[in-house]
Amino acid sequence: MTEWIMRQLPALVILVPFTAAPLAYLLGTKFGRPIALVSALLSQPLAVLLAMRVSREGALRYEVGGWGGPLGIDLVVDGVAAVMVLVTTVVGLFVTVYALGYFGDRERYRFFWPLWLFLWGSLLALFLSGDIFNLYVCLELVSMSAVALVGLTLRREALVAAMRYMLAAILGSLFYLLGVALIYGAFGSVDMQTLREVIRVDTTGQAALALMTVGLVLKTALFPLHFWLPPAHSNAPSPVSAVLSALVIKGSFYILVRLWVDVAQPAAFPGVSTVLGVLGATAIVWGSIQALRQERLKMLVAYSTVAQIGYLFLMFPLVTGGGPAAADAWMGGVFHAASHALAKSAMFLAAGTVLARFGHDRIEGLGGLSRRAPATAMTFGLAGVTMMGLPPSGGFVAKWQMIRASIESGQWWWAVVVVAGGLLAAAYVFKVVGPFFGREPEALDEADLDPGPSPWTMEGAALALALGSLVLGVLGQPLLDLIMVSAPALVTGVTP
Amino acid sequence: MGKVTPKSPLPIRIAALAICAGVGALLSRAVLAIPETESGLAPLVDANLEASGVKNAVTAVLLNFRGYDTLLEIAVLMLATIGVLSLSVTQKGTWDPIAAQADPVLSALARFLAPVMILVSGYLLWAGEHAPGGAFQAGSVVGAAGVLLALSGYARPAWISRFALRAAISVGFIVFIAVAIGEMIAGGLLLQYPADLAKTLMLLVETWLTVSIGAILVSLFIASASPAEELRMRSGGEG
Repeated sequence: MTEWIMRQLPALVILVPFTAAPLAYLLGTKFGRPIALVSALLSQPLAVLLAMRVSREGALRYEVGGWGGPLGIDLVVDGVAAVMVLVTTVVGLFVTVYALGYFGDRERYRFFWPLWLFLWGSLLALFLSGDIFNLYVCLELVSMSAVALVGLTLRREALVAAMRYMLAAILGSLFYLLGVALIYGAFGSVDMQTLREVIRVDTTGQAALALMTVGLVLKTALFPLHFWLPPAHSNAPSPVSAVLSALVIKGSFYILVRLWVDVAQPAAFPGVSTVLGVLGATAIVWGSIQALRQERLKMLVAYSTVAQIGYLFLMFPLVTGGGPAAADAWMGGVFHAASHALAKSAMFLAAGTVLARFGHDRIEGLGGLSRRAPATAMTFGLAGVTMMGLPPSGGFVAKWQMIRASIESGQWWWAVVVVAGGLLAAAYVFKVVGPFFGREPEALDEADLDPGPSPWTMEGAALALALGSLVLGVLGQPLLDLIMVSAPALVTGVTP
Repeated sequence: MGKVTPKSPLPIRIAALAICAGVGALLSRAVLAIPETESGLAPLVDANLEASGVKNAVTAVLLNFRGYDTLLEIAVLMLATIGVLSLSVTQKGTWDPIAAQADPVLSALARFLAPVMILVSGYLLWAGEHAPGGAFQAGSVVGAAGVLLALSGYARPAWISRFALRAAISVGFIVFIAVAIGEMIAGGLLLQYPADLAKTLMLLVETWLTVSIGAILVSLFIASASPAEELRMRSGGEG
């Protein structure tokens, strides 16, 4: 039995949410809630076992159908994939627990459970796929469930945001698909391992990579293609906002990284790496300034995501040159994706608790929150530590690695951006946290409407994620080691 | 249309045209640069066709070589339906008649055509093993039959409960997953068909996929048609 589980691990990880999803749809709200919880709990040991197996044995290859690439489709689990699966599974558990309290057993939200389980399974399938066409199908699954979840409340603003999000997401997917078609036409394969050997940077290869990059950048909401993100992420129900900012945007980013660093060699395109890095730096500054200007909590958190996406893209110019800088940049980028996932989901869940309890999320009306909802105020503060990148948080480890990579590669200017971004983050975090721990507003209409504490599951789930982002900083080394397991040749300097 | 769509300003339209023309030129150049000798995976598919259990290469790729893609694609269809149902204003979308008063000629024709269409879909399903056909084509015909019935004023029969309709929408994916897990328990990998059972299992999966694809297409049509229909009735039928 144990042997069977170990052998089937990559498939089992995906099958759990994908089995739960249709059952949750078929059986409705009453059963959907326990089904989602069971699926979330079952996923935990599987993700941990997968990570343990990868750190012990190196990258795993699972040949779906027994054919093997390029004829069949392979699931590939290297260190980065294992880390992303772990992060998705942990964030998924706490979002599920939170959603149980947030949606309750209200019949009008019955579609949340199947949609969320489908989204969960699709993200895992995406992180494990080793086939560029299969990745397209995964992207479609992720976008489709995410769009429906954004519009779940049927509120006017939410529907408008969902529509805009859908148009951007579909356009991005189609650009990606065009690139896949060109690659298959020119190089005769969609299997990443095969492509690594045969891909050429000729006219067709360039066009394909350009199309795929534009599509994926649009889906990741990198400045200036971030226009759809703030309305979609802030108008979605809060458990959905958390998943969108923590995990969904990282799905398309993950494909982009695999494509450039793993399949095509970015050394052939120093210009592209620089452009992505400059856009990332601009995103950090622009997103932070916009976050500072917001008056609603969820909008502030959404613009903070626009800024934090920027750090992910600093990875490209730092990895391109190879050497020790590439390894540090690789660890820093992936670690940032992980710690941001925990901290940002904690922030959105905390914002959702505030919104659900007081019926609004205007920052000026939330003074003195620490006395009325201490756990929620603390969640926001702790998650803020990671956003700012202060020790001992996960955000600190990530930024430290990036700064090291900048100095090692002689590109000190990226280090300046990282530090400046931390200061800007401090400004918008304190804009919120300061009043939380300050005086309550004078004319306090909201207090009269305060229906009392939120369910402990909601506050507890958000706090657990915020604490998780701190624990990452203290216990970061095992995770950094895992990220480097079977990393791409460019990063390790070793040709496999 | 009751409302006139506002036109974008001229510079934006010119910019959009320029972007489209640029992408079009890039694409044309990229496609023309593809060498004509590349044959892709076709030789590999032909070499393994014998082992796949079916004689039609397309079916072999869809259900066996890349069956995992198809498993996820049926999830896409199901997800699209759940999404449309969750966003449809009435949240009903359960085969209520769309046309208020049916044309007697149309309804008589539909009565005649629907059974024939079911028969055709059965043939397409069976033919997929060795000739063009298969679950997606068969399911589309079932879906068309359902749309025709709904347009001709036939309401959802009482014996099809809402649960049964949900079951029809999800059964294809559920059976597919069950077969995949069964193969793993039998000692294979995910979606690895045992050689002697490959044909039977693929036909089983395809049969239930046909049911689901039909139910999904009908539900998508009806759920997305209802609000527009209501809107048109409210605005006096000028659409």
